[in-house]
Amino acid sequence: MDVSNILAAHAAKYQSVTVEKETPLEVDPGLLMVTDLNPIDEESYNDSREDYLQSLARDGVQSLFASLFSLPTKQSPDGPLAILPPPVYQLPRAKPLPKPKPPTKWERFAAAKGIQKKVRDKKVWDEEKQEWVNRWGRNGKNKEVEEQWIHEVPANADVDFDPVKAARDARKVRVSKNEKQRLQNLARNAGPQQQRKEEIDKTLASTRVSTASMGKFDKRLEGEKKLRGVKRKFEPAEASAEQEKKSSLNLLAKMESDSKKMRAAPADESSSVLNVRKAVKFASKGRGGIALARQSSRGKGATRGKGRR
Amino acid sequence: MLRTIKPKTARSKRALEARQPKEVEDARTAVFVKGTHTGELLNNVMKELMALKRPDAIAFNKKNDIHPFDASTNSIASLEFWSMKNDASLFVIGQTTKKRPHGLTFVRMYDGKVLDMTEVGVEGWKGMAEFKTPKSTPGHKPLIHFASELFDTHPRYQQLKSMLLDFFNGEEIESICLPGIEHVISITCAPTPASLNNATIPTQPTTSKEAEVLPKVHIRTYTIKLLASGTRIPRVELVPMGPSLDMSLRRYQDADPELLKQAMKRPKLKKTDVEKGLGKKRKNMEVDEMGDLRGRVHIAKQDLSKLQTRKMKGLKAGLDGDMDVDEDGDSDGFSPRKKRKET
Repeated sequence: MDVSNILAAHAAKYQSVTVEKETPLEVDPGLLMVTDLNPIDEESYNDSREDYLQSLARDGVQSLFASLFSLPTKQSPDGPLAILPPPVYQLPRAKPLPKPKPPTKWERFAAAKGIQKKVRDKKVWDEEKQEWVNRWGRNGKNKEVEEQWIHEVPANADVDFDPVKAARDARKVRVSKNEKQRLQNLARNAGPQQQRKEEIDKTLASTRVSTASMGKFDKRLEGEKKLRGVKRKFEPAEASAEQEKKSSLNLLAKMESDSKKMRAAPADESSSVLNVRKAVKFASKGRGGIALARQSSRGKGATRGKGRR
Repeated sequence: MLRTIKPKTARSKRALEARQPKEVEDARTAVFVKGTHTGELLNNVMKELMALKRPDAIAFNKKNDIHPFDASTNSIASLEFWSMKNDASLFVIGQTTKKRPHGLTFVRMYDGKVLDMTEVGVEGWKGMAEFKTPKSTPGHKPLIHFASELFDTHPRYQQLKSMLLDFFNGEEIESICLPGIEHVISITCAPTPASLNNATIPTQPTTSKEAEVLPKVHIRTYTIKLLASGTRIPRVELVPMGPSLDMSLRRYQDADPELLKQAMKRPKLKKTDVEKGLGKKRKNMEVDEMGDLRGRVHIAKQDLSKLQTRKMKGLKAGLDGDMDVDEDGDSDGFSPRKKRKET
């Protein structure tokens, strides 16, 4: 059986899709670019320039299409998409690389302890409503307690105990704590320039009140703002014995605690990730380092007692 | 220097964040600037280049007294200011003078500073309207075709290639809809003259005499027609679409090596990409469908003759030979294997 006729007919109907050149074309599918490094043929360029340029471009596009159609594809609503490899040819960037964000205190701690970051969903499932609700924000789940219509009041509660207010205050405290931590992180990562600026502001403020008249008769510069001192607050002179006891104990605790000691060496926060004071407090369940040491020595003694002699 | 802006609304905050540097950058926005005198031809050239560049193009419609190659003017400062105001990092400046008629200057920026510049003179021009053929849809990505060995060897053409590629198709995308490819921009040099052919690359800035030697560059645009070929890959035919440009190279300014080095910095590859085999070539490692890293280890051929298996009487060396003799009826009674063992 002679198939040469059929082959010839097929060849006539479908022209070839392969491109053969002296130097193979450099195809960069990542940038949809093809470079033809063969020298330009002077004769055909001078004879019929437009046709020659078009045939050159056709060959290039044909080989680019050959590599584009052999790429892996993925489905999308608009039809199949060819997944492009990263580009080979390198172009200069328009802007410098983004600077990495400085890690927060928690992020440094988590990295040291090997805690993986978990992304919390914005929505949580509400069993009662049988639908997904916001974790926070409008109709948020965190406002559930303060918005419910009936509240449990502990038996020993004060007369003026307001459970709605208590729940709301607890939430507000969490919010303000978060905000405080955010600001502290910002201040910690502000860099030496910002620190210096704050130092200068402080020095300036103290020099302004360091004259004989405490700055009262000094010449004001243009645009200079009035110094704002610390506003003092006074507790009412009459307080219940319970409250007085509580405030005095608070004051004593403050004087004892390391963080408030005025002459103590400043804790170097940046060097260690771990807050040692807090860690001891946590390990001893709030009883302090001495109790922890005593407990551990007792623990050792107990094991010795049990062991073989 | 503008003061640093602090966003007052959420909307302006989003707009400012969109201008922040990104790891994978968007396409460069090009600003088309008219010099003190442009003329009808250059106006048309810029209009149609802009049509190709849309939607990442901004037109300055008023005349500007700008001479980027003249260091005595404050043109560079103006460019830097415009770049910051418009968040644009590419400029096309049209200017025609008696000495340099129909000049187009491409200026590329990095981090708000001028990176490099190249000036071309338009010598031949045919607009889109002169081709009575279908046009491509604005906003579709073009294919780019470069032809000539000069784009690989000559520094001037290397710079032009990089510049034009950045202009037409600098954006890095991860996937493309193949039926959406409609047109190709083909950039071809005229035949290389003998003076450039024997691998002599000029190190000094080109003098006027040398500039004449530099072959012209032809920019052509074609729409793509795909025909059935009987295979998966279609047969490609091109139809001229316009615009078509013939250009000659003129003045240029190379990138400052220090600035260029900074601009060529790449982001660190992510761990998953490295496992996929990007970056450094890693042999004999692959990630299977389950996401596990699998390696292939090549060792020398194992010598199985010394392998100690279970010891049995029947497998002893002496007995082995005797049995061979019986079965094969071998006349000498010694097989070569047995000989080796005995010695």
